[in-house]
Amino acid sequence: MEDRYSIIGKDVPRNDAVAKATGAAAYTDDMKLPGMLHGKLLRSPLPHARIRRIDTSRAERLPGVKCVITGEDTPKVKYGNWRLFPTTQDEYPLAVDKVRFIGDEVAAVAAVDVDTALEALELIRVEYEELPAVFDVDAALAKTAPALHEASPTNISIDRKISYGDVERGFSASDYVREDTFTVHAVSPGYMEPCSSLALCDLDGRITLWTSTQTPYIVQCLLASTLGMRENDIRVIKPFVGGGFGGKMELRPWEFCAAFMARRTGRPVKFTLTRQEELCYGRRRHPMKLWSKVGFKKDGTLVAKDLKILLDGGAYNAMGPTATFLCGNFGAMLYRYPNYRFLGEHVYTNKAPASAMRGFGAPQSLFAAETQMNMAAEELGIDPIELRIKNAMVTGDEIPGVATISSCGFIESLQEAAKMSGWKRKRKNFKAGRGIGVGCYSFISGGVFNWFNTQYPFSAAEVRAFADGTVHLLTMASDIGQGSDTVLKQILAEELGLGMEDIRITSADTAMTPQADLGTWGSRVTLMGGGAVQNAARKIKEELFGTVSARFDLNVIFEMECRNGRVYAKGKPERGMTFGEAVALAQKARRGEPLVARGYYTPRDKGLVTPAFSFGAQVAEVEVDRETGIVSVKKMWTAHDCGTVINPMAVEGQLEGSIHMGLGYALSEELQVENGRTMNNTFLDYKMFTAEDMPPGESVCIETYEPEGPMGAKEAGEGLASPTAPAVAEAVYHATGYRCKDLPITPEKILKGMKK
Amino acid sequence: MTLSKFDYYGPKTVAEAVGLLGEIGEGAKVMAGGTDVLVRIRHRMLKPRAVVGLKRIEGLNGISCGPKRGLSVGATALLADVAAHRGIRRLYPGIAEAALGTANVQVRNMATLAGNLCNASPAADNAPTLLALNAELTIQGPGGERKRPLEGFFKGPGVTDLAPEEVVTAIFVPPPAERSGTAYLHLSARGKHDCTAVGVGVMLAMAGRKCRDARIFISACGPTPLRAPQAEQMLIGQVPTDKRMAEAGVRASGEALPICDIRASADYRCRVLGVLTRRALQAARDRAAKKG
Ligand SMILES: Cc1cc2nc3c(=O)[nH]c(=O)nc-3n(C[C@H](O)[C@H](O)[C@H](O)COP(=O)(O)OP(=O)(O)OC[C@H]3O[C@@H](n4cnc5c(N)ncnc54)[C@H](O)[C@@H]3O)c2cc1C
Repeated sequence: MEDRYSIIGKDVPRNDAVAKATGAAAYTDDMKLPGMLHGKLLRSPLPHARIRRIDTSRAERLPGVKCVITGEDTPKVKYGNWRLFPTTQDEYPLAVDKVRFIGDEVAAVAAVDVDTALEALELIRVEYEELPAVFDVDAALAKTAPALHEASPTNISIDRKISYGDVERGFSASDYVREDTFTVHAVSPGYMEPCSSLALCDLDGRITLWTSTQTPYIVQCLLASTLGMRENDIRVIKPFVGGGFGGKMELRPWEFCAAFMARRTGRPVKFTLTRQEELCYGRRRHPMKLWSKVGFKKDGTLVAKDLKILLDGGAYNAMGPTATFLCGNFGAMLYRYPNYRFLGEHVYTNKAPASAMRGFGAPQSLFAAETQMNMAAEELGIDPIELRIKNAMVTGDEIPGVATISSCGFIESLQEAAKMSGWKRKRKNFKAGRGIGVGCYSFISGGVFNWFNTQYPFSAAEVRAFADGTVHLLTMASDIGQGSDTVLKQILAEELGLGMEDIRITSADTAMTPQADLGTWGSRVTLMGGGAVQNAARKIKEELFGTVSARFDLNVIFEMECRNGRVYAKGKPERGMTFGEAVALAQKARRGEPLVARGYYTPRDKGLVTPAFSFGAQVAEVEVDRETGIVSVKKMWTAHDCGTVINPMAVEGQLEGSIHMGLGYALSEELQVENGRTMNNTFLDYKMFTAEDMPPGESVCIETYEPEGPMGAKEAGEGLASPTAPAVAEAVYHATGYRCKDLPITPEKILKGMKK
Repeated sequence: MTLSKFDYYGPKTVAEAVGLLGEIGEGAKVMAGGTDVLVRIRHRMLKPRAVVGLKRIEGLNGISCGPKRGLSVGATALLADVAAHRGIRRLYPGIAEAALGTANVQVRNMATLAGNLCNASPAADNAPTLLALNAELTIQGPGGERKRPLEGFFKGPGVTDLAPEEVVTAIFVPPPAERSGTAYLHLSARGKHDCTAVGVGVMLAMAGRKCRDARIFISACGPTPLRAPQAEQMLIGQVPTDKRMAEAGVRASGEALPICDIRASADYRCRVLGVLTRRALQAARDRAAKKG
């Protein structure tokens, strides 16, 4: 594409990079306000119990303690992100009557320092009446199982069904049918910044909350309802955030407590979690049990798939309902399944709640689907990549009633990954202990569903243009480290023909940026936030084009453009002026009224899931020590279709991060939970890959043009959390004969399952 | 999170340090690099009244090494120094390897060899090789200096033979025996930066084609580093063939007392201990052969 774009497709450095690398970036926990108090939470030591009595009097008497609260002090309003279905809102900020997992928040203390707050926690007496507890989906679904929530006597909080075609007939028409059960484990989002929130109550009693969140708007709304205040009386500001990966997209108890206690004491209150709290009680990726049956023709053509998934949700819904929904959609992706059926059930257990985590159901669903694809390829005697290409979705494909694939570079991704990795040769010639395997993914670019029931556009942007040639972009989109501030500026710069340095950005402040934005999750920001920015920019352009056109008395058929800081008639650069001059003139014409435009994006008529899907294929090469079972990953090759690449460097960063998380998911990370207690509560024992453990990699972006996305862009980086585990599992199988159907792949499992 | 409050002392001499420990009494904690001490304080597993730092004591970080003299490592010598020391790498490659295999760059730049031993973790990476090489500790206490073998120093997880007011001042390793080789191998589930799930340090000395002496020490498979005397006996006086070493490995794994924990199951530990012991013995034999 010669010079079509000035700044799209360029390696623009992230505008937070230097601040973060030098330590100058201020995160919530770095903030201090005069008179600030420090909060700590008392958590349940039991997995399931009725609260008989709480005595806080000794804690209150401890010098330095300024406020102690329990559920009884609060308005007792339940919350949850599915506002459209209030019965799914099952969580109180502080436990009322019952606790449901080890770590459930029971009381909060605010004191002059952290040590005093911790000491006060030890002085709170809670009398519990212990109840029987369940720790996995089978136990939770047993007839005699105790119900965690009255509203869900079976412990199934929500289910989701999808069905099209005729699965039973599909299976009878198949030549080859296989059925497998898979289990996957819990992992932690492991973001570097533990959750932190700082609340300030102003003279009018309104709240300002700085908080480490992916979703300031959702926090604002739910904080208002739980505090019994009006939405506009709450201002949520997202400072620098050190990652979220889905773990920071709900209202959380410390956000409530900080705000509630700031109102009570009149002093700012800050809560910061410890790593131990994050690992033991924090949100995590759902463990699941997946049963899948697929049918093929002899030649490898897919005929039918039947998928049942039980999500081990932990004690509350959190984002589980959305994950349940999405699991079923991901199960139907990548390939053409003429007949498909899905049943997903979200099950309560007495453990820390699982929630969204990078992939939102896809890593689990696709681990099963892709592993099964690899197993089927072997039995059908077809190369796994060939089998995929044979069944791959292409642009224009439709999933009945659910979505239309408006752009798809999946086959190209498969071909490219095979080529880069030397697939054909290595698949044949490897010696024992060496192996190569493939895994693929598809992912959404934001959801079209509105379970939060927002009354606002899904994304919004405001652009203010100034006569000095600068613009100010205001958006509630939240950069949590993924780089949206940079990418949105790039989109705006490209539209208006300006440089990055000409744009000031204010983002993620609910009182200052336009309503609204559903937040950073589901890979929605580039497409939706970008769409809103583009929409606003185009309104500014229209105004400037009119002004310049009038000034030069241009024929109405002339096309105009903004480029290199100028606004002019296309092909006739002399008939134009600088951006600033054009703004000044436009402003004159408006008798001084500033040039401001609002832009919006809300998906409409885009099916049930998402406006656009990304695709990709990944190949892993491993070496396995056949005596110890230790796997070392030699190299990863990735080819993926994320539409137009807005910032190659940012996409590469996403890719590396995904491989890092994907390898951890496949090989080393696991929250080990025994009787509801998470045993590995430090990064020493919760094993993420370190920089030195990372293999080299190569990647290629297959550029497609996504009509719904800004400049043709769509999702990058979240979907990529999915292919790594099945690719590594297949490579390990290729190397050892051990087939992993229950993640993670551990040295012990390899030694036990290895074929001699 | 903040650290709980404690007094900090930075004595200039060992005598001063020992004196301080005696004066403060209970609640005083010796600190070298602090990579264990500070982590434990932060996690509130340790609440000392006073911390006595050793790093300001001049000359305590010395390393001296020679084929006749043997090796002496001062109490505040860093793991990074040990790993990089030319003499150690030449004469005691197993010791340098173990130091280099401990933790990561940042930690090695703070942590000491002596601290790794005094911390008495059953998984300490530097204990097995030093035990295999008959290392000896120099200890200073209120009654003066004493020396004792490293073997027998560990009493349990986090517990040593040290009295509360005693300080280790140096680790001494005798000159390497003629035609001997050492090796340390360890493994964990994640890879490079991880707590050891199984480790083994060996020393093998040859006479002709036969093994004259063998010492095998295992880490992370019991409450302290463990010796595998039966496995040693299977080698001494024998030609150390691969087969014999494999058998010794199996015997060593029978002598270990592994537990199941979040890092590995007892079963797995036993199984790979045999493998690692065999591999370490082979590496030590090859090293011994090179010395001619
Ligand atoms: C991220 C990380 C990774 C790690 N990885 C590993 C690993 O892979 N392998 C491994 O073996 N260890 C590992 N460790 C543990 C630690 O780094 C080592 O045990 C280190 O060698 C301790 O040395 P130090 O000087 O920091 O000891 P300190 O923390 O100062 O002291 C440790 C203990 O020894 C006592 N002590 C120290 N010096 C003396 C002395 N001269 N006389 C008497 N008592 C003394 C202290 O009182 C304390 O009880 C890791 C630690 C961290 C934080």
